[in-house]
Formats: sequence, C-alpha cells, structure tokens
Amino acid sequence: METGSARLRYEMTGVRQGWLVVEHEIRSMAKRAYFSAGPASPVEEYREGRDVWTPAEVAQSFRFDLRDHETGETIPFDELLGLAFWGSCPRSSTIWELGDAAQEHRISVYVAVTFGGGEGPGLAPAKLRALNRYFNERLRDPGKRILILPDLFGLYREFSHGHIMVDLGLTAMQ
Amino acid sequence: MTIKEIAEKLGLQPLTALSERTVTGVYISDMVSDVIANAKAGNVLVTVQVHNNVIAAANLVDVAAIVVTRGRKPADDTLQLAEKAGIPVLFTELNSWQIASHLYEAGLR
Repeated sequence: METGSARLRYEMTGVRQGWLVVEHEIRSMAKRAYFSAGPASPVEEYREGRDVWTPAEVAQSFRFDLRDHETGETIPFDELLGLAFWGSCPRSSTIWELGDAAQEHRISVYVAVTFGGGEGPGLAPAKLRALNRYFNERLRDPGKRILILPDLFGLYREFSHGHIMVDLGLTAMQ
Repeated sequence: MTIKEIAEKLGLQPLTALSERTVTGVYISDMVSDVIANAKAGNVLVTVQVHNNVIAAANLVDVAAIVVTRGRKPADDTLQLAEKAGIPVLFTELNSWQIASHLYEAGLR
C-alpha cells in the first residue's frame, strides 16, 4: 500500500547540468572542489599565486533550486556539493554506524556536504529543512523516511568525493 | 502491476528480496544526478550501473526496484545495502533497450 500524491509544497527547478571538479595543489597536495557549469569539464592545470592546481577527479553533477509553492520563494542550493548516503561511507565511520541503526527503523540517513566543508558556513538550517521536506513529501512508501543531516561528520575533509552521490568514475564502468 | 509480477512476467532474476509494491512507471538512466533530478517514486529504474551510489540515489527518490541490465551484477556489499534499504534489485542479460521494450509491452508507461 502506498500513499497518494497530495499537492506538493516544493518543486525542483532551475536544474543546471555541469561538473564537479576535485582538484589538488601539486606541491602541498591540498584538495578542494568546485562546480563548473561549462559544456566541457576543465582539464587544464592553472597557477594561483605560488600554487599550481590540477584537476584530480571530474564528475558529472548538477545544481538546482527548490521553489516553495507555499511562500512563493525560490531557494538556491549552490553551496551544496552533494549528498552522501550512510551506506556509501566506510563501515568504520560514525555516519555508517548511525545510518545502519536508523535504517532498521526505515530512516535513510544522508549528509549534505557543502563546498568548503568545515571552513564554509554549511547548509543553512532553513535550507536543510526544505531539502528534507522536498524528498520526504515525494515518498510513496508510507513507512519510509529520508533524513538529511548537516555535515557534522567532516565528510568533506575525511572521505574521498567518491562517497558523495555524483557521477564520479562513470566512464570507467567498473 | 507489482514488482513480483513484473519479475515473473519478464523472467528477471531477483538478486534481493522482491516486494508486492506497485510500479508507477519506468525510468532509464546510468547517471546518479539524473536519477535524483528526474526519477519518480514508484518507478522501476533500468540501469547498467552497479555502484553503491545508484542504490543511494534510487533510495532517495523512492524507486520501487532497480533492474540491472547487460548481465552486470552488483557486488555483495551493494546488494546488502539495497536489501537494508528495501529496494529490490533484479538482473537480466538483456540490454536496457530490450528490457524497456518488454516493460512497455507489459503495460508500463
């Protein structure tokens, strides 16, 4: 048995296809990520002061806004790098343990990872709430819930970007 | 039509437990981002991808089942994840176009 589709409050709009580029600095091996909306993924290394940055991984990704039909507001999610599912994270991690326990109660835990990670402001609480409502109001399986948490786990810093739901390694086809 | 009925009718091999869930349509994609943006709850997702992230995306948008085509099989830990998330995963040697044709003939739109 499934729930019917009532009028939905949120709608995904302004979907922009692009590239998630993970780059590293050649000497320090510092890593960072950004979104590129161009038609082709960046492949050239470039100089920034004394640093030389080179693309390490490129994944197809997208950006989107949510339109709130109750308030008429459009909420951009440009700071969102991607969502990480608990089950895609290492078994030794806190998020895996938390997610595994929650999944027994049919709550699927995701983490909203933002560009800049711990150094950035993260996803504002109001945006996080809207994102949770957007995905949950679409569920048809009545016992199921989605819980999207802020990155309290340092996923941006600790894990490979391969744990984030983007199309990394798509062309490799394993 | 339920997942179980579709599996029987099309001869799909279940890799995880099947459900009695009703299927609302079909979405074909090999891109995680595309699935998140466009697949609908209750859809059957037809894909060649066997990565954990496909399970993650399918679960996020509440697809009813995943049909993996062209004889590719997800790894055991990926299937365990699908089982925990309650998403049936089915397997076929057919390619995505062929299985899409069969799903259409079975009445799914």
